[in-house]
Amino acid sequence: MPTVVVMDVSLSMTRPVSIEGSEEYQRKHLAAHGLTMLFEHMATNYKLEFTALVVFSSLWELMVPFTRDYNTLQEALSNMDDYDKTCLESALVGVCNIVQQEWGGAIPCQVVLVTDGCLGIGRGSLRHSLATHSQRGESNRFPLPFPFPSKLYIMCMANLEELQSTDSLDCLERLIDLNNGEGQIFTIDGPLCLKNVQSMFGKLIDLAYTPFHAVLKCGHLTADVQVFPRPEPFVVDEEIDPIPKVINTDLEIVGFIDIADISSPPVLSRHLVLPIALNKEGDEVGTGITDDNEDENSANQIAGKIPNFCVLLHGSLKVEGMVAIVQLGPEWHGMLYSQADSKKKSNLMMSLFEPGPEPLPWLGKMAQLGPISDAKENPYGEDDNKSPFPLQPKNKRSYAQNVTVWIKPSGLQTDVQKILRNARKLPEKTQTFYKELNRLRKAALAFGFLDLLKGVADMLERECTLLPDTAHPDAAFQLTHAAQQLKLASTGTSEYAGYEHNITPLHTDFSGSSTERM
Amino acid sequence: MKIFSESHKTVFVVDHCPYMAESCRQHVEFDMLVKNRTQGIIPLAPISKSLWTCSVESSMEYCRIMYDIFPFKKLVNFIVSDSGAHVLNSWTQEDQNLQELMAALAAVGPPNPRADPECCSILHGLVAAVETLCKITEYQHEARTLLMENAERVGNRGRIICITNAKSDSHVRMLEDCVQETIHEHNKLAANSDHLMQIQKCELVLIHTYAVGEDSLVSDRPKKEEEQHANTSANYDVELLHHKDAHVDFLKSGDTHIGGSSREGSFKETITLKWCTPRTNNIELHYCTGAYRISPVDVNSRPSSCLTNFLLNGRSVLLEQPRKSGSKVISHMLSSHGGEIFLHVLSSSRSILEDPPSISEGCGGRVTDYRITDFGEFMRENRLTPFLDPRYKIDGSLEIPLERAKDQLEKHTRYWPMIISQTTIFNMQAVVPLASVIVKESLTEEDVLNCQKTIYNLVDMERKNDPLPISTVGTRGKGPKRDEQYRIMWNELETLVRAHINNSEKHQRVLECLMACRSKPPEEEERKKRGRKREDKEDKSEKAVKDYEQEKSWQDSERLKGILERGKEELAEAEIIKDSPDSPEPPNKKPLVEMDETPPIEKSKGPVSLLSLWSNRINTANSRKHQEFAGRLNSVNNRAELYQHLKEENGMETTENGKASRQ
Repeated sequence: MPTVVVMDVSLSMTRPVSIEGSEEYQRKHLAAHGLTMLFEHMATNYKLEFTALVVFSSLWELMVPFTRDYNTLQEALSNMDDYDKTCLESALVGVCNIVQQEWGGAIPCQVVLVTDGCLGIGRGSLRHSLATHSQRGESNRFPLPFPFPSKLYIMCMANLEELQSTDSLDCLERLIDLNNGEGQIFTIDGPLCLKNVQSMFGKLIDLAYTPFHAVLKCGHLTADVQVFPRPEPFVVDEEIDPIPKVINTDLEIVGFIDIADISSPPVLSRHLVLPIALNKEGDEVGTGITDDNEDENSANQIAGKIPNFCVLLHGSLKVEGMVAIVQLGPEWHGMLYSQADSKKKSNLMMSLFEPGPEPLPWLGKMAQLGPISDAKENPYGEDDNKSPFPLQPKNKRSYAQNVTVWIKPSGLQTDVQKILRNARKLPEKTQTFYKELNRLRKAALAFGFLDLLKGVADMLERECTLLPDTAHPDAAFQLTHAAQQLKLASTGTSEYAGYEHNITPLHTDFSGSSTERM
Repeated sequence: MKIFSESHKTVFVVDHCPYMAESCRQHVEFDMLVKNRTQGIIPLAPISKSLWTCSVESSMEYCRIMYDIFPFKKLVNFIVSDSGAHVLNSWTQEDQNLQELMAALAAVGPPNPRADPECCSILHGLVAAVETLCKITEYQHEARTLLMENAERVGNRGRIICITNAKSDSHVRMLEDCVQETIHEHNKLAANSDHLMQIQKCELVLIHTYAVGEDSLVSDRPKKEEEQHANTSANYDVELLHHKDAHVDFLKSGDTHIGGSSREGSFKETITLKWCTPRTNNIELHYCTGAYRISPVDVNSRPSSCLTNFLLNGRSVLLEQPRKSGSKVISHMLSSHGGEIFLHVLSSSRSILEDPPSISEGCGGRVTDYRITDFGEFMRENRLTPFLDPRYKIDGSLEIPLERAKDQLEKHTRYWPMIISQTTIFNMQAVVPLASVIVKESLTEEDVLNCQKTIYNLVDMERKNDPLPISTVGTRGKGPKRDEQYRIMWNELETLVRAHINNSEKHQRVLECLMACRSKPPEEEERKKRGRKREDKEDKSEKAVKDYEQEKSWQDSERLKGILERGKEELAEAEIIKDSPDSPEPPNKKPLVEMDETPPIEKSKGPVSLLSLWSNRINTANSRKHQEFAGRLNSVNNRAELYQHLKEENGMETTENGKASRQ
């Protein structure tokens, strides 16, 4: 989940805070201090996160586009000037543009807004924005909710009492509400000082930036892993089951399936599965990601030389063209596979299916998948030349079962022409002729379209009179018979108009041999 | 998302009164082919559908599309109304298909134009519709049972689509009032019933049907909110219907800028996607964020059936979406799975996982001798297959196939060294017959026989002094001698078999055979060998199983530890432990290295084993009785290098071991 840090650089951020020792701090210093802490945390524990830095006052500016280079972000923090008044709405519009340009509308983003809770004055102030919120049209839509899945974290360089003394807190809460409740407001506990800012940012880190550690298991083969980005809780049905589901920290492989059989399944999200080395206390000592830091490098080199199940699994999945099905929770599954970033680089990835007993119709119910050794014979064949997948649904779909649709005249005309074409090739086409005839008969009966039956009967009778001299004598018999049967059906009386009843070819002296030819 | 929204239950109420038998006054030419013939035949007069036929056709088309796109959890109940209500099907999933409905409609037949219109009313049908909406569906029942005390969370909403001929505005209001009143009454009834549910919300769609002029459409099919048109085009267009979420990204993107207010019906109805050259194959795993079933608008048209047949034959079609900027991006894929066609939504935005660290740079990334091929074989053996018929365990409880799959993985991995240099037996073709069956839950007599044969074969190899593929990684010189190699091999094989002895009595027999056959050098020889430094890797390979066995025999070893701490009968106790198959490791297998005063760090992690307590005690006692070896005194980490003078002669030569060919 990429992060956009939106930093308030209006004049009010330069307000001094009560003196701590000899140095005098401004609120912007506290903000920079908190952000430094966040960036440092990310650089060590969350280094694959893309972060952008936006500053705003009455205007906004993208200081650092999305990057994983936390040094650049850190440097930008110390190069910020002071500007005029706070104008939050335009900054949020800016965030919309930046995120959509970079990531589109489907990737969840976290927006960290750092402000002092002074929401500006006059036009462009948050109060003004909220007051005019109901009068917006398409052209000047309020930027919230963000047009992408999002969390809005508001970091206030102020304590609760200060915010409550005005209506600032209410306005900020409105913002979170407008973002469909996605987000949270953080305020400083106690006096404004470095220590309390740290603890506030610590809470944000705990909430949004703690790495997700898990144990990947395949029977007795295990590996400690970090899953990046963190899998987000998922609500299956807001009404029946409103509690968000969270994935297990034990990721248990239950079996394997060929890539061709799983065939590009829909997934909620996908994640890198990075093997990590843990020390005795369970702290991460290396993700194996190469770093400039020398100490870490040597630790990583040692970790690199210890056999790791992830590497074995990844190698075999890649070579065999398979995926591992992994259990993420009760009735929740996902898949592990090798994902190539380039010709040389590839990685172990995990995609999460939607929770539920049957996330992929073509695999059937997950609980019903079992080991091939339990089957009477290997469903993949002795030479690995077949597959038990995909499962066939009980009912065929309309496009696969020759349904009759006459909404447009062309549909009806095509069906009638088919009968006529076959009628002219009697007795060779006897079977097809009656098959098409019965299909039309059934549909006409269901739709109560009895006039059609009469019409087609008339048509067949006419065809009978038009038969050339060279025609097979059976043709005339069959046409007359068919016409007669249709006429009877068109009376609608139950005796002849039974839906299940089929018109069968007339048994003639000639028909014995001719029908068999079909 | 809500499963039990209005679209869970749809009731069609179609008017079957005499009026509906009237012609819609639109002619259908059906005698087309005759025009090609020049015999001067006059084509048959066109016919026209009745209002009833039009209504039934439209509602069937609605059902066709719905069953295609939402085959589950969206149900239809069909009611025909004349002098009474005829309910043609139920909410059960078996009743939800076109064939059933068509057969039931045929049984009803067209309205009788000579019936008394006064006796007929659409109200019968509407009342029945409300009644049927109160009836619980299988899905609702299942959800309520599952939720137990939270059963009230299961919603009951529905939609009534009524096709009739309304006489006036007041007639329409009368119908609306009637439905409302009936809901009110039935909700009272439902409140006291287990099989009925109160209606929380009901959407009433009234479709006014009447005959018009010569050429305009009679009845309008209501468009479902979920449906949305997509359009593929090359030389011709095929219009497809599918869930609107398939375009959620497009709708949110700046291209249309509809944003959050798309529900007000302002959403773009048709999105045109272009067919691109199908260069995809099913071996490729696309990043797909959604897959939705489709239904062609004009199912039997040539372009539609051409596309659907192409897809049903197993091909896939990639679709690209033109962007505002003029560029194109592949955004969707059409593909069939088991006779159902899905529109897959492919992610077309920048990946947040781009440029990740390669797996070779991470933990375990520098190890080069993983048993990739063997694990591939393991994965193929542990592939999954559906078991649709329920199976039962011996105790009568339902067996869950997926749990069986997990059990199998547990068994197959009890002893599974990850790298080639950690194992000897898995590098030997001769061991395969045993290794492949010993992991099974149960063995046949033939399996046991094969295992025994394998063991005899190994004995034979040892007798002939055949070389073994022992790894020399990390060792100097030629590596262990031949007899030592066999000892390592036998130990590893024992480890493998021991991991499975609790599976069955036949597994036990394999172990017995192994123990009887494996080489047991005379006591003297054995003692000498124990002094030799053991291979590092052997320790590792045994550790894997030790971990497993330690778990299993935890209680045993705890009990034994108790015995030792309390008892003084050293020798007698040691004998008992030696014979116990569950003890972490037989004492005769312990290398002398571990008998040193400072036990390896590894040991200090877990509980102190009986053996090391015993060894420490003996060592302390013995050390007082003799002078220390010079080698041990000069050792580094208690390890002294032997035969140092040979090093110059042999250099760092590494020997054949059958490994190289495996990589």
